[in-house]
Amino acid sequence: MKLVSEVGVGTVAAGVAKAKADHVTIAGHDGGTGASPWSSIKHAGTPWELGLAETQQTLVLNRLRGRISVQVDGQMKTGRDVAVGALLGADEFGFATAPLIVEGCIMMRKCHLNTCPVGVATQDPVLRRKFTGQPEHVVNYFFFVAEEVREIMAQLGFRTFDEMIGRADLLDMRTGIEHWKAKGLDFSRVFYQPQMPADVARHQCEMQDHGLARALDHQLLAAAEPALGKRQPVRLNYRIRNANRSVGAMLSGAVACRYGHEGLPDDTIHVAFEGVAGQSFGAFLARGVTFELQGATNDYVGKGLSGGRIVVYPDPTCPATPEENIVVGNTVMYGAIDGEAYLRGVAGERFCVRNSGATAVVEGLGDHGCEYMTGGTVVVLGKTGRNFAAGMSGGVAYVYDRDGSFVQNCNTAMVTLEPLLSEAEQMAADALLITAGKGRIRHRQRFDEPLLRELIERHLRFTGSTLALKLLDNWEASRAKFVKVFPNEYIRALSELYGKENAVMPAVARKQKEAA
Amino acid sequence: MGKITGFLELTRIREAMQAPRERVRHYREFILTLADDEAAKQGARCMDCGIPFCQTGCPINNIIPDWNDLVYRHQWQQALDVLHSTNNFPEFTGRICPAPCEESCTLNINDDPVGIKSIEHFIIDKGWGEGWVKPQPPSRATGKRVAVVGSGPAGMACAQQLARAGHSVVLFEKADRIGGLLRYGIPDFKMEKDLIDRRMEQMAVEGVEFRVNAHVGHNVAASRILEEFAAVVLTGGAEASRDLPVPGRELAGVHFAMEFLPQQNRIVGGEAVDGQISAEGKHVVVIGGGDTGSDCVGTSNRQGAASITQFELLPQPPDVEDKPMVWPYWPVKLRTSSSHEEGCERDWAVATKRFEGTDGKVERLIASRVEWQKDAQGQMRMAEVAGSEFAMRADLILLAMGFTGPVATGLLEQFGVDRDARSNVKADTESYRTSVPKVFAAGDMRRGQSLVVWAIREGRQAARSVDELLMGKSLLPR
Repeated sequence: MKLVSEVGVGTVAAGVAKAKADHVTIAGHDGGTGASPWSSIKHAGTPWELGLAETQQTLVLNRLRGRISVQVDGQMKTGRDVAVGALLGADEFGFATAPLIVEGCIMMRKCHLNTCPVGVATQDPVLRRKFTGQPEHVVNYFFFVAEEVREIMAQLGFRTFDEMIGRADLLDMRTGIEHWKAKGLDFSRVFYQPQMPADVARHQCEMQDHGLARALDHQLLAAAEPALGKRQPVRLNYRIRNANRSVGAMLSGAVACRYGHEGLPDDTIHVAFEGVAGQSFGAFLARGVTFELQGATNDYVGKGLSGGRIVVYPDPTCPATPEENIVVGNTVMYGAIDGEAYLRGVAGERFCVRNSGATAVVEGLGDHGCEYMTGGTVVVLGKTGRNFAAGMSGGVAYVYDRDGSFVQNCNTAMVTLEPLLSEAEQMAADALLITAGKGRIRHRQRFDEPLLRELIERHLRFTGSTLALKLLDNWEASRAKFVKVFPNEYIRALSELYGKENAVMPAVARKQKEAA
Repeated sequence: MGKITGFLELTRIREAMQAPRERVRHYREFILTLADDEAAKQGARCMDCGIPFCQTGCPINNIIPDWNDLVYRHQWQQALDVLHSTNNFPEFTGRICPAPCEESCTLNINDDPVGIKSIEHFIIDKGWGEGWVKPQPPSRATGKRVAVVGSGPAGMACAQQLARAGHSVVLFEKADRIGGLLRYGIPDFKMEKDLIDRRMEQMAVEGVEFRVNAHVGHNVAASRILEEFAAVVLTGGAEASRDLPVPGRELAGVHFAMEFLPQQNRIVGGEAVDGQISAEGKHVVVIGGGDTGSDCVGTSNRQGAASITQFELLPQPPDVEDKPMVWPYWPVKLRTSSSHEEGCERDWAVATKRFEGTDGKVERLIASRVEWQKDAQGQMRMAEVAGSEFAMRADLILLAMGFTGPVATGLLEQFGVDRDARSNVKADTESYRTSVPKVFAAGDMRRGQSLVVWAIREGRQAARSVDELLMGKSLLPR
């Protein structure tokens, strides 16, 4: 957990430690990458010394310090920085700018433009050739840092680094600095050491007890043994509650251990849950695993989804109209790479952010849907929040735009909005593009209409959505209201791919392919 | 910022020049300013660096990325405003500055730097051409009188800044025309002198009074200046040439570069010079491998020298510097000036031992080769290479070995200011105050021989310090 150094950060760090984090970073105000906005660089946080001192004092006072490692960063450059950090209570230190400079960074602040002239922060092969850094340079730099730390430790009489952590009593303030801002400074609160018994840890010396022994996944693993061992289908039923977090992650790990990313045949392990799931329901779910939940979930459903299927629908006895009510939380399918999700109801914010290949059907969204998405297919059967498709560079989203308001909510900086053509129309449009020499390969190599229709049909089949049924019943009218969100970069890539394939493919083979 | 990918797509443009064979026939400038779209392309290569090293590489901290961008966008008048905000005389620096900014350009690490100097040259020529350079007289006068002694670039910049702040400034010059070494040191083919006249017109409207043939410490008493003026800025330059005290130094035909160059400038300027030192038909040897030496080469070529040889004491520097080692600082590397291109022999690691001649006229130069090696303290030491002595025919020998400091007699004696270990006037770069109350010093007189651009910087900063002394505060930029 990375925390901005500011007043009150100690309290947050204590909460983080109680919440079983292994590690907390106190980030000072000095840092900021070349790509970060001025507002963040100039106006976020306080010096790391203040945040670190507060964190150390709070953690020691609450007897939490031993089980969490504390890192500090923000323009760490010298061995002296490390020594001061250790005395104020840090176990670890984050270095970023200095090693970058060692590798040749000249602080161009163009990291976000792909034009780094020294080849550090760019993907451009021409510019990357200009990179002159070597690992040995970085190694050498850190040797210098370590040597300085060792010298300071020797002066202070420490044999091990652990002895040094939290010994703020050894710090002193330089007096006689002739600057009006330095007058009246009082560091006693920064140097304060809580008076605690000697057995209370001042540095990280034990591991967090993550309580994994009680995880629901242990039951899943045992019950799914026939599937894991002999690939026999299993059907399971569980009640679930919000204390059950990351359900499915360990199970998926077991699948991946034995069968790799290929996983198991579709639906080999089918688990039906009932209740309200805790955070990260179906995280990293592997191929061959289906989670079906009657009820609702918290945030992070299907995080990093890796081939599995997640189906969520509300309890049928619930009187609320499903397509008007939240059924899954925020940040659903974050960073998903493969698999599918059918969600009978509305999702929260940041739906499918950084999705790179998974398919999702949902009946409405909060803000920032499909942000930074690079691949996959998203079908939204209802309204979206604002800033939809910001930074989206791949994949396609189909949005049912009932009242024509979608364009106001979509961030069109990187995407084009197109009407959803019928199969025949799309075929004709493609022919035009091909004669113009700019042909396109279709998304998932299929026409949009049958693909969309199939996904809505599956949504109906898995969730029993009446909304899906209504749309399918009146398909021509519904189709006309769908908007295809097509990222410009994706269009360009598909066109280039088309050009490449045509360049290498003999005319005969091309004709055969087109006929097929 | 210019074009984001400009540096990847465009190459540096070198300003067009007349061919050497053409240009040695006259004393006019021969570098052609960029065309509009060439300048835009030149500016497009700027990367608008997060840390603009060019701006710190430039002694007057020209806001280079900004005007590069404005030139790229064809917004020349705005570019001129930004350029003038830090530089009083871009038409001087755009011609004769060695451009430390380009050495510290980020592109210079692994590519050709942005042609910053050519852009500066373009902007200011455009500005004069379009009539955008106008006098900026102060809105009200302060009634304070300031004397600026010495009218080189430091004195001119200082005087202009003070005049714009509302002070009535008198600029004293010992010679008969304003400009100092700009006028009488730098040959016309590098910078034509009507540029100085044009600036003088502007400065006169802004309220600067020029007083030529006024050699303070000689025909004007320092005490009178101190009585008449509320403050004095000494900007008299570092004009004491370094001599070469070897046997035969007294022979006719051995001259300082600063005896030789001003005469030609006077002649180009329409004055008559009795008994001009001329290189015509002579075998010329220039001793000293710096910019002044190079100016001697160019002038000798124009006068029709039979041969020109330039000697340098130090060994030949590398063609390309060790960039990771020196960037963004000024590198020591082989520099071939336009004057060198016009024809001369250059030789390095040569020490002159004596001059020989008959009838009091020099005919030969005897020199030997030297080797430079580090001694036990790590200092470079020179040692003669045994048996390397050689003779060289020489009818005219020009000594261009730099300057030791300001001329001590007259001015500095009368003001009685303290000097530093290098014989320059002692003053810091915050206040520019000398040891004598209300007497300031700036430019070469304070820092020793240096670039025009450093002189402008010091003149500007000293003006601010003077303004602060007179008014209690100052709005002039530092």
